[in-house]
Amino acid sequence: MSLKPSPRLISAIAVALILLYVIVANWAGNPFDAKNITTFLVVGIALGGIYAILAGGLVVTYATTGIFNFAHAAIGCFLAFTYWQFSVKWGWPTLVSLVATLGIVAPLIGIGLDRLIMKRLKDASLVVQLMVTVGLMLSFMGITLTIWKPTKARSLPQFFRDTSGVKIGDVTATWHRIITVAVAIGIAVLLRWLLYRTRLGISMRAVVDSRSLAGLTGAKPSIVSGTSWALGCMTAGLAGILIAPETGLVVDNLALLIVVAAAAAAIAQLKSLPWAIAGGLIIGLAKSFTGVFLTFNQNWSYAPEAIPAVILFIALLFLPQARLETGKVRLTKRTERLTKPWEALLGSAVVFLLVTAWAKGWIPWFGANFGQRSDVWLGRGAGFMVLGVITLSLVPLIGWAGQVSFANFAIAGIGAVLFSHFGGQHGDPKGILIVMAVCAIVGVVVALPALRLKGLYLALATMAFAEFTDKVIVRHPNMISPTASGTLFEPLKLFGFRISTDAGERQAFVIFLAAVFSIFLLLFMLMRRGRFARRWIALSDSPAASATIGVNLTVQKVLVFALSGAVAGFAGCMLGLSSGALRVDSFPLFAGLPLVLLLAVQGVRYPIAAFMAVIGLALFPAFKELMGDPSWLSAIELIGPGVAAITMAFRPEGAVFYAGRDLAPLLPWRADAKEEKELADAKLREQDIRRDEIGEMGLSRPFTPDKVSQLDRILAVTDELDEAPLVPSASAVGDLHPEGQGPRTPVGATPEGSS
Amino acid sequence: MSVILTTDDIVVRFGVLQAVSHASLEVQSGFITGLIGPNGAGKTTLFNVITGLQEPTQGSVKLEGTDITGKSPYRRARLGIARTFQKLEAFSSLSARENVLVAAEQRRAWDKSKFDPGAIADEMLERVGIADVADFMVGTLPTGTARLVELARALALDPKVLLLDEASSGLTDEETEEMAELLKRLAGDGLGILLVEHDMSFVMGTCQYIYVLDFGHVIAQGTPAEVQSDPKVQAAYLGTLADAPTEEVPA
Repeated sequence: MSLKPSPRLISAIAVALILLYVIVANWAGNPFDAKNITTFLVVGIALGGIYAILAGGLVVTYATTGIFNFAHAAIGCFLAFTYWQFSVKWGWPTLVSLVATLGIVAPLIGIGLDRLIMKRLKDASLVVQLMVTVGLMLSFMGITLTIWKPTKARSLPQFFRDTSGVKIGDVTATWHRIITVAVAIGIAVLLRWLLYRTRLGISMRAVVDSRSLAGLTGAKPSIVSGTSWALGCMTAGLAGILIAPETGLVVDNLALLIVVAAAAAAIAQLKSLPWAIAGGLIIGLAKSFTGVFLTFNQNWSYAPEAIPAVILFIALLFLPQARLETGKVRLTKRTERLTKPWEALLGSAVVFLLVTAWAKGWIPWFGANFGQRSDVWLGRGAGFMVLGVITLSLVPLIGWAGQVSFANFAIAGIGAVLFSHFGGQHGDPKGILIVMAVCAIVGVVVALPALRLKGLYLALATMAFAEFTDKVIVRHPNMISPTASGTLFEPLKLFGFRISTDAGERQAFVIFLAAVFSIFLLLFMLMRRGRFARRWIALSDSPAASATIGVNLTVQKVLVFALSGAVAGFAGCMLGLSSGALRVDSFPLFAGLPLVLLLAVQGVRYPIAAFMAVIGLALFPAFKELMGDPSWLSAIELIGPGVAAITMAFRPEGAVFYAGRDLAPLLPWRADAKEEKELADAKLREQDIRRDEIGEMGLSRPFTPDKVSQLDRILAVTDELDEAPLVPSASAVGDLHPEGQGPRTPVGATPEGSS
Repeated sequence: MSVILTTDDIVVRFGVLQAVSHASLEVQSGFITGLIGPNGAGKTTLFNVITGLQEPTQGSVKLEGTDITGKSPYRRARLGIARTFQKLEAFSSLSARENVLVAAEQRRAWDKSKFDPGAIADEMLERVGIADVADFMVGTLPTGTARLVELARALALDPKVLLLDEASSGLTDEETEEMAELLKRLAGDGLGILLVEHDMSFVMGTCQYIYVLDFGHVIAQGTPAEVQSDPKVQAAYLGTLADAPTEEVPA
């Protein structure tokens, strides 16, 4: 027996000690009497019940479809507003509104999502899955904000308007809370029954174990996934309706419940329904405990809102290590070649010149001075270039190493705040280096608990961190002083230049930022040719194979997070410079998401996509200026980035890739691209022909090219066919069948045992 | 010739299923050792145990007499174990040359000797005979060629022992022959090779020593001739070893 303490035990003790310290340090002094304890339990269980419903639905959807639905809470939010429309605005009876919302609208949304989007994501990469569901989240938020304008306050009444209820000691448990708990128990029992006692449920659980085997249980996969999405939406809607009277009918509050659901799901290791419910209860009780027994002083006044994020982090610490799985490699059938150094130089020079020309006002229509508001526009231009650098910082991280992070905007925010303390206040450029170093460390710390886990947990951890930054870190008065007025930043003194966003120097500032952006762009494009990028891409393509050629995965992930954090930190310094003052509410979780999504839509592997993403963002204010701010444009601005991300379900590689594939052959020096395109077209034609021929085998279902190659893999004939001429002769088709089997033999009848 | 790799009494349990039961085998440098058995016999699991992707429930793995059981996969790679995979694990969004280059660059970091990773990458691609597709992205290559990329990648590590999981699957007859020649040459240079293979004529033609795994147990071992005549082996394969035609069916 070794007495070496396990890392798990150490972290358990550390977490317990920190929690104990937080509790003792912020103890409100309320006695542990019956009243307080009852209040704590009544409020906690009611709140926890709602969280449990929310998390239960999320976990059921994930477990049966393999897709983590970031839009879960946003859909719940949309449904809560729908319910408000029915019951309050139109005055329908409560029960009718409930049935209409949860029995009709919610399942329709679920089935619609499944049919239109989710079934395309089954075999997509994690990055694409995440981007699409995060896009869906922003879309639902945007749609809700568009239909129900936030300018008008709305409230959703509790089911029983009066505050009567059951007296427990001195505490009244309102009927609303009692119903909540009853419904939560009912849902838990119902889901459990459905999953374990019904045929459909057993099929649903079979899907978890093996998607291909599940077909053998007899249930149609489409019914299984449709049901689980419908169930997911119904639970989300129910949770939204139940919680809206407490949080207020506010889109951000309701959509942010995704952090709660994610934390509970992490406790459930994403798959266990009972633990998801327990997780919901734990979070509810933790919140209520904090509310009843703790008082945070003004420095940490927002801390209770960060409880779910903290619980998520703690849960990640205790999850078992993920095994390096093999056999999961997706063969991306994509051709591209490395950007040559001179092409990279040309590209970044063009970007620099474009932005400079714009800042100088040389581009008609979109000149910086259009509308006689050059100062405003130059200021915005500076802001967009800064966002561009933040977006660039994601390219090595998400694009190359495949590590999805939603935290970089928050890290940039931390960078901006830090720069106001470390040099920015006297315009000292050395401070930038300090900030970059700190932000590199922050980036690593965010990732550390999730590095040994599956990629999805990493995304959850970074999201929790973004939320934590917004609620706790930047709100501490030592970070941004609430009494500070005016600019926090002096003009930066760099190589004898004065760099500031002051009105007279703003044009030069934009040109400076364009240069900065272009330099980062160039560096990243060159870096893609080097060994670090290669290693990171290898790591993302196959972690198992990387490990077996001697790559220390942890070290490489730490490196890429540090690089990304440092660049985000640099962008943060520029963010501070360009905005002058900083506000505590400038860095909410949702503000950073469009950057990630638009980058992904443009093509997350390509540095130039960061520029395209920012142009995409900048178009909204530009069009608004041109067209006088029509309301449909605001709607597009709200919904657009999300919808754009959803299109990745259909075009996963990103616009830059498709543009490159289609346009590169037009370049005079790219004869190779022309050949490749012809080859690819020929391959597509060949696949079509093969599809038709397989279709003629008497199979009723239509065959997509994907299915054909899947079939080929099962029959292990890919290679013979790949070697075959582009237009296969009749004999090549004969090769599909192992010896002795006629062409009419059903595919499934290939004897397995013959090998 | 010396023993380079041994597994001693390896047990791997997944819940109630015992995927590998007390498997002990030896790989000698300069020899090609075969590991055969029906589907689900535990061959790939054993490979995963040797390379560190799967922790054994019991037993130990030794490289040159040193116990490496608890070591992580990347450390084992640095000690001289390289492998290919049954299901492709090539880096599909890198070119064939980059695939091999990544491995060569890795070795450059821990190997004392000075060498140019680029030159090594080109040499390995040449050696497995795929220099002509060096700049193609692996995802666009036929499976057989991608397998050769994996082999080149493994060789770029200059390993002491090479584990090949289904080396010949997806290859044409000609390529399989070339592969056999290549493996013999590599063994001739002192490399120890452990080969999982379904193609019996390939195994019998290339391996000097063979272990037969069935339901996780080593049920037989010996020279190809000894193994072929072993009644237990024939029972495990339901007599398919004797039936020549079924060997032609792609696995």
